[in-house]
This record gives sequence, C-alpha cells and structure tokens, in this order.
Amino acid sequence: MSTSTRHPARPRRIDDALSQLVDSLTPALPITAIQEEDYSDPEEVLAAAEEHRHNAYLERAWRILDTHVSTNAADTGSPSGRRGSLAGTENVNNAADLIKRKLRRENASPELAVKFSNMYSKLLTQPVLSQKWGILYLLYKLSEDNEGFGEQQYGERSRSPLMDDGNLQNMLGPRAPLPRRGTGPRAIDSDDEGPAVSSSASQRVPLSSKPERQSSLRHEGLEQSTVRSRATSRAGYEGATTDHEGDDRPDTASLAPPRGGSFEYGLLRDLPFNLQGLSSTNLQFQSATSLKLPANLPAPIISLLNSLAEPCLLYKGLSAFVESTEGGLVNQSLRAAIANELRSYLSLVATLESEIRHALAAIGDANEPNGVRNGGVTLKRCVVWTRDATMALRLMSLIVEESKDKKGGQLISLIHGFSSSHGDPFVCAFAEKLLAHVTQPFYDMLRSWIYDGELSDPYQEFFVAEGKNTSDEDPRRIATSVWDTKYVLDEKMLPSIITQEFANKVFLIGKSLNFIRYACGDSAWVEAYSKEASKELRYGDTATLEISIDEAYKTTMARLIHLMDNKFKLFDHLQALKKYLLLGQGDFIALLMESLASNLDRPANSQYRHTLTAQLEHAIRASNAQYDSPDVLRRLDARMLELSHGEIGWDCFTLEYKIDAPVDVVITPYGSTQYLKVFNFLWRVKRVEFALNSTWRRCMTGARGVLTHVDDKVGPDWKRARCVIAEMIHFVCQLQYYILFEVIESSWDTLQAAISKSECTLDDLIVAHKEYLNSITHKGLLGSASPRYGSSTSNAAKQPEESFLSQLHQILKTMLSYKDAVDGLYSFSVAEFTRRQELSAKIETRTAQGRWGVTDRDINPRRTNSRGGISMASTSDMQSMSTGPDGLDTPLTISAHDLAADDHMLASLRVRLHDLSADFRSRLNILLGDLAYQPDIDMRFLGVVMNFNEVYEPVKRRRAAGPSSRDKEKERERERAKRKAAAASQATGSGTEGTGSFPRDMRRERRDGFEQGANAAAA
Amino acid sequence: MPTDADNKRQAARDVIDILEDISKILNTNLNRTELSLCVSLIENGVNPDALAAVIKDLRKEAATVNRGQ
Repeated sequence: MSTSTRHPARPRRIDDALSQLVDSLTPALPITAIQEEDYSDPEEVLAAAEEHRHNAYLERAWRILDTHVSTNAADTGSPSGRRGSLAGTENVNNAADLIKRKLRRENASPELAVKFSNMYSKLLTQPVLSQKWGILYLLYKLSEDNEGFGEQQYGERSRSPLMDDGNLQNMLGPRAPLPRRGTGPRAIDSDDEGPAVSSSASQRVPLSSKPERQSSLRHEGLEQSTVRSRATSRAGYEGATTDHEGDDRPDTASLAPPRGGSFEYGLLRDLPFNLQGLSSTNLQFQSATSLKLPANLPAPIISLLNSLAEPCLLYKGLSAFVESTEGGLVNQSLRAAIANELRSYLSLVATLESEIRHALAAIGDANEPNGVRNGGVTLKRCVVWTRDATMALRLMSLIVEESKDKKGGQLISLIHGFSSSHGDPFVCAFAEKLLAHVTQPFYDMLRSWIYDGELSDPYQEFFVAEGKNTSDEDPRRIATSVWDTKYVLDEKMLPSIITQEFANKVFLIGKSLNFIRYACGDSAWVEAYSKEASKELRYGDTATLEISIDEAYKTTMARLIHLMDNKFKLFDHLQALKKYLLLGQGDFIALLMESLASNLDRPANSQYRHTLTAQLEHAIRASNAQYDSPDVLRRLDARMLELSHGEIGWDCFTLEYKIDAPVDVVITPYGSTQYLKVFNFLWRVKRVEFALNSTWRRCMTGARGVLTHVDDKVGPDWKRARCVIAEMIHFVCQLQYYILFEVIESSWDTLQAAISKSECTLDDLIVAHKEYLNSITHKGLLGSASPRYGSSTSNAAKQPEESFLSQLHQILKTMLSYKDAVDGLYSFSVAEFTRRQELSAKIETRTAQGRWGVTDRDINPRRTNSRGGISMASTSDMQSMSTGPDGLDTPLTISAHDLAADDHMLASLRVRLHDLSADFRSRLNILLGDLAYQPDIDMRFLGVVMNFNEVYEPVKRRRAAGPSSRDKEKERERERAKRKAAAASQATGSGTEGTGSFPRDMRRERRDGFEQGANAAAA
Repeated sequence: MPTDADNKRQAARDVIDILEDISKILNTNLNRTELSLCVSLIENGVNPDALAAVIKDLRKEAATVNRGQ
C-alpha cells in the first residue's frame, strides 16, 4: 500500500527506511488494541489498524520532510540539491560544536563534553559516513527536544532581548544555547572564532520551523524587545537607584536616553580601538593599568564602561607581555600561545567593529531616535559579547602575573594546576589549550633527552639538570660522575603533568643514553636508536607518551646491561673479585700464602714489589687461576699498603683488582676499598689459620719424634697447648666457614639473582652490588666505620659491630702470640731434647772411659753454679768458651747452667701460654656474648656454630656505654686473677702428674723469684 | 552508499557504536535500530532538521495514543 501511495519524487530507499522508522517509533498499540477487540479476528483487525496507522504516519512524515525540503532548498526534487543546500551553509564542526556547548552548559563537569569530543574525533576518522554533521545535528535536535517542548515558543523566547541583554544564563536556565547574534567568538573555541560569527548566525536558521520568515520575525521580535528591554532596564534602574538617585529619575528618563545615546555612539565608535589598548578621545589610558573615563556620564554608562575597561586594560598588559623577549623557552612558548589567543581576541574585536560600523551606518541612514537600538549594538551588548573574551584575558593575565618568577617546569605546573584543579570548566579548558602550546618546548627537550640522551636546555627549564662541574677531580672520579653526578634530577622543575615515577624513568633513560654514548663509547648505537625510535611527543596523549617512554626505557636499559655484560665484562669482574679478593679461589690463595709466607714474615719495609708480583705470578700459574681470562688476570696486582714502621709483611700485603672506566660505575672506588677491607680481614684470618696449621703440623710431627723424649718435662704443657690450638683452629675454621660460605656465598647468590633479572637496570645493578658489599661487610663482622653507610646499617648494630672488628683483631693477635709461645715451647722442647741427648752421650763416653756416668754436679748443679742469673741460653756458649780450660767439667757446667735458664724459660712460657689461652677464651666469650644478641640471624648462627657444645660461656654485655665497659674491665680483671690461680694450681697439678717432684717445683718458683731479683739488680 | 556499507560492515558498526554513545550522552532516546535507520535516511539526503521534526512528531503522536488508552 505504501508503495502505491508513494510519491514519484520520493526515492524508494528513503521511503523504506522511513517506513521502518515509523514502525519502530510507533508505540505498543497492538497490545492494547487486542485487548479492546472482541477477539473475533484479532490478527486481521490488528493488521488493518496497524496498516492504517502506519500509512497515516508515513504520509505525515513525508509531508514534514517535504515542507522542510521546500523551505530549505529551491530544487526540491533532487536529493543532491537537498543535501547541497544544507552542506553549503553548515559544516561538520558546527553540529559538533553545538552539542559540545550544550553538554558543557548542562553539565557541571566538562566530563561529558570531553567524552563527546573523544567520540567525535573517533567518528571523524571513520570513512563510512558522508553526512556526519547531519546525524550529529539530528541527535542534537532530538536531545533538545527532550528538554524543551515547543520549538516555536522557544524560538520566540530566544529572540527576546532579555536573553540578549541581561543575566540571561539565569533566566534561560539550562535550556538553550545563547542565541547571541554574532557572538560566536568565544575564546574557548578559538578554532571557529572568527568564522563562527557568520556560521553560528546561519546555523541558527534551521532552529525555527519557519525559516523563510525568520528575518522578518526577528526584526519584529527585536522591535518588540527593545521596547520591553527599555522598560525592564528602566525598571531595573528604578530598583537599583531609588535610594540615592530618586530625584534625578525623571530627568534621566526624559533627557538621558538621547544624550546618553549620542554619547554612546561616540563610545561605540571608539570601542574597538579601546579594546585594542589604544586611547581614544573619550577613553584615555593613563598608564598601563588605568583608563580614564569621561566624568560627565550617567552612572549606568559608567558602570558599563567600567566593565568594558577591563578587557582593554588586560589586553594592553598582555600585549606588552607578548612583546617582551626575556625568559626561557617555555616562557617564550607561553608568550606565543598568549599571542595566539590575543589574535583571536582581536578577530572578535574586528567582528565587533564591523557590527558597530554597520549599526552606526544604519543609524546615520535612518535618523531615528531609536536607531542605535534598532542597529542592535549597544554598549551593554558589547559588554556581553566581550564577556567570555574578558574571562580569557583575565585568566591569561593571571597566568602571566604568576609566571613572573617561574620558569620551565614550574610554569607548566602552574598552568596545569589551572587546567586540572580549577573548578570552572571554562578555565580548565582554556588552560588546557594553553598547555598544549606551552608544553611544546618541554616535550622537545624531553624528546631529545629520551631519544638522544642529550640535554638541550639552554635556560635550565628541564627537570634534568647538569650536575656540578667535576673537571678538577682525578679521572677516576670523572668516570663515575658520568653516572652519578653528571646529571641530577631537579625536583623543582618537575612539571605536574609528569609523575615522580615517570620522571625518574625519564631521567634514567637519558642518563643511560648519555652514559652509553660517552662512557661506553657506543654512540653509534645511540644514534641508530634515536633515528629509529624517535617520535613526536606532545601534550595530551599521555598514553602514547607513557608507552613510548616505557619502550625507550626498556630498550635503553637492555642495551646498557648488554654493554656492561659483553663489552665491559662487568659480571666477569664481579666474579673475579669474588674469586681473588674474597678468597673464592682456594687453591690460588693457599698457594700464594705458602709461597709468600717466608717473605711476609720479614718487616714491611723489606718487601719488594717485584718479589710480590713474582709470587703472585707463580700462584696464578700453578693454580686453577691460570685458566681465567687474561683480561681478568691482568688486573690482578699484589702490592703493599702504606708502610708504617715496625709492621711485618703480613700486615700490609694486599691483593688488588684494578677496575677501569665504565665498570667503576658499579664497582665504585668506595666499593673497591670495601673489597680491599674484606680481603685484608680474610687474609689475616687465613694467615692465622695458616700459622696455626703449620704449628699444629710441627707439633704433630714432633710428637712422634722429639717430643716423646721430653714428655716427662713438658708433656702436660704440650697437651694443653694442643688443646688450645685445636680450640683456636676450630674458631678460625668456623669463622672462615661463616664468612666464606654463610656470608659471601649467600650474598653472592642474592646478587646473582638480582642482576640476572630481565628488567634489571644499571641502577638496580649498582644498588644490588652495594647491598652485596654491605651485607658482606656487615655480616662479615666488618661493620664499616664510614659515616656514608651509617644509615644503611641499623644504629643498634653499628656500635657493637665496630667492636667486632677490633675484637676479632684482638683475638687473632692473641692467637698469633699464642702460636709464637707454642713455637717457643717447641724450641724449648727441642733444646731440652738435645741437652738430654748430649748428656746421655756424655754419660756413655764417660762410662766408656771408665768413670762415673753421672757426677754430683749433674744432679745438683745449682750449688756450683753461683753465677747463674743470666737467663739467656745463648750466653752459655760464651761461658763454655771462657771455662774452656776446665776441660772435663765444662759440659756439665753448661748443661747445668742451661737447665737453670731453661727452667726459668719454661716457667715463663707456661705463664705466657696460660695467660694467652685464658685471654683468648675470655675474648671469645665476650664475642659470643655479643653475637648472641645480634639482630641478624646469620650472626647469631655464627655464635651457635662456634659454641655448639656450649663449652664457652658467652658473657652478656650491657649496651650502656660507660659503666659497662668498666664492669667488663673489672670482670676481666677478676677473671684473669681467677685464671691465674687456676693456672697455678693446674701447673702444680701437672707438676705432680709429671715425674718432677713437688718440692722441686716449689724450689723452682723460689728460684724464679730470686733470679728475677738478680736480673733487676743486674739491670 | 549501500555498497559502501556492505563493504565496510564492520566500519559501519563502529560508526553506529560511536553514534549510539553520543546519542546516549545526549539523551535522545533512540535505540540502535532507530539510530541506524536515521543514519541511512540522512545518508540518503534527508534533511536532519526535517527528520528530527518527523521523529518528534511521531513521538508526540505515540504519546497521545498512549495517553488516550
């Protein structure tokens, strides 16, 4: 049916679609219709009814369409004409613009408008639609429909002058766009500011359903409205001025309009110039910040002029700012952005001017009293027209004002503050637009920084700044400063559009690129990279920026790690440091120590570098170290620390591993000294272990030979000494095990885990390595005294830690002196053994000669040996020489004398051994006591390992400073006394154990005292 | 244009998606079918203003019918 009734001029496609549309828009008639029917033939009836209604609606729809077509375009028939007629006058932006404004007006937050803009830009990229504006316009119209009914009514109201003149926002409420004729220019949408004047006027045309009568209607409306407006404005004045201008009112009513009117023409004529900051006859700029108003004007006009003066003054100030030249790049771009805004402001002024001209010309022609009203341009209207522009100017001058002492990032932060946190959506949008321009140089800098690693920032506006100049330092320092101090992150300059984390990333990227280029000498890669990856960055698309920065970050870091690993062998160096300086390569160290041992026993000043390096070379050649890469071995060096007088070679020998330029970013000079410190400590422990072991070996071999023969005399001493040495060896072994295995290896493992992560950066590496060294020095009981790392180790742990090192040194020293004492005991034993051998040999020879094997003198030599008192055995040779003539007796005398001296020596040796072992024990107890209260579990573990069978009694030491140490001293004193007593009793005990009789011991004691007295006398 | 739409069915769907969002923001009370019909009408050269009037008219009509019942 619809096909039959179709008008020939109606295209079928449109008809079909329209018919469908009618169907879908037709309400749920069928359901209710069925209920009312008598169910006789519901379907048929329904279908008929529906068909009927459908046709009626369709016809109606066509009628409406046709009316529009005929009114809007001359050539009704052709669709292209229809399309063209509208497409000519409208453009795509306007429909979108309308919607945008509407959304902005109706919603407090600009969120929807922004959302719409996003969708709109998406829509624009779609190629499918050719009439995008059309559908948008349709949507716009429909949405409008939902709020205000009665277009006609609305159209009339919109023409009313009240809307044009006064506080129309309030009166209109959220409804319609302000139908300001020719007020298109809103600084907020600078894109269409100029042309919008005409286009917004034209796009109003279809607003009315009878556009052909539009102009006449408007004219009528205007005429009516001016009357009304005058009435209302006068009423308004009445309200406003009754109190103090009551008597003047009749006068103003009769006289002011014509007089004010004529004056208004002049003002209007001059207004465009004033708005451009130029003085005119009536309005003169006194200074940059004041405008002189003519005195003889009525108050309303003065108030109007006051509000008009604002944009004039603001423009003047801003144009002065734009003209100025100082400031950094961001300032300049701000200036450019403002200049841009001012240009659109000027185009508004130009439009205004043409309107005014037009109106004034109309007045001149018509010569009516109400001409200016009819012209449609009044001062008041100008105020309204410039309102938005004034707001924009005000905002700009505020920004200019506040940006005076700011630059770079701060400036961007300032404007971003407006755009992100200002309550007024207009201000937000405006600042946002400014920001797009202002951030341009910033993004340029950012780009050259993250893609080239170059800081192109002539005015120090970027948030990365050059560090302090370090040219006067030594070259080793400069290499590290490339990473640490060449560039610094300037928090002050960090614009708020970039987050802190982001800034750190950016900083790291540029720094790495720079580092790769200059320190690693790989500028070729950097250039290739920047060519390939470089992208334009701009404000707004934060997502893209973030993605590109993340990408750059990943690439750069990967490259840097790659370089560090492959080109500079960082990990090999770390490995080598662990191997050689942290004694990881056991065979090498053992060999080195063995070959150096005899050398290092001599004083420090007799150590020569060439012998050391030769031994080092030997150790390398003979151990597995020879398979290491020559690059690593080349860096290994043996040298002496600064000599101080009286030290022996052991104290100042050190191995060194040389680290050069780019790698020393990770293994800093400070790190190297830490390594040296650890090495020295380990070396010392190793040396003590070595010494103890050699002593142990000697006494073990001795026990099978020499020592068995003197067992009766020094057997118990040896037993004790062996016990103590075993104790010490246990201690040293545990200490070494703890440091090498529990500390170094586990830290190494952590380090490995940290640096083998895929997204590891150089900073991570540095931090991991620092951690590694810290944990070694901290856990390895080497707590550093350096204040630099004071913060990283907890304060509670720090104090005892320092004492740990000294305690350990003391303990090691005690061990060494104990070892010396044992050596003394050994030589004593050997001497005793040789003496006995000689004696027995003599006895044999005498027996062979037929004399008594043992004489009186042999048994009781002291009686004859009245000269005894010189205790040193070495003098006995001299004596034997001097007593040469005394042929037979000589050996006896000597041996007798020796015996006395040796007895004395043995006693002092015993005391010394006891003292030392007791000292060792007490020190160890204190150390264990300290260890037991460590926060670190590994260190507590060391204590447990050393004292696994609780043979020691850890001394609990108080943390308090003064009294505790004194207590400790006292305690130690007391302990020592106790120990002495115990030692004495033990000595006597052992005496009775041995073959020697008790009185003899007593005698010996007495003799000791006597000899000491004699010694003193001799001295 | 229909060939266009056929060729770029997906693109057309995207467009309708976007338009549907916009129409939701604007509270036009158009459903998807109506929206695509409107799009095709406008693409065929119908004056959007007139179409808006038609839709309003039909809605008003429907409202009176509903009220009538």
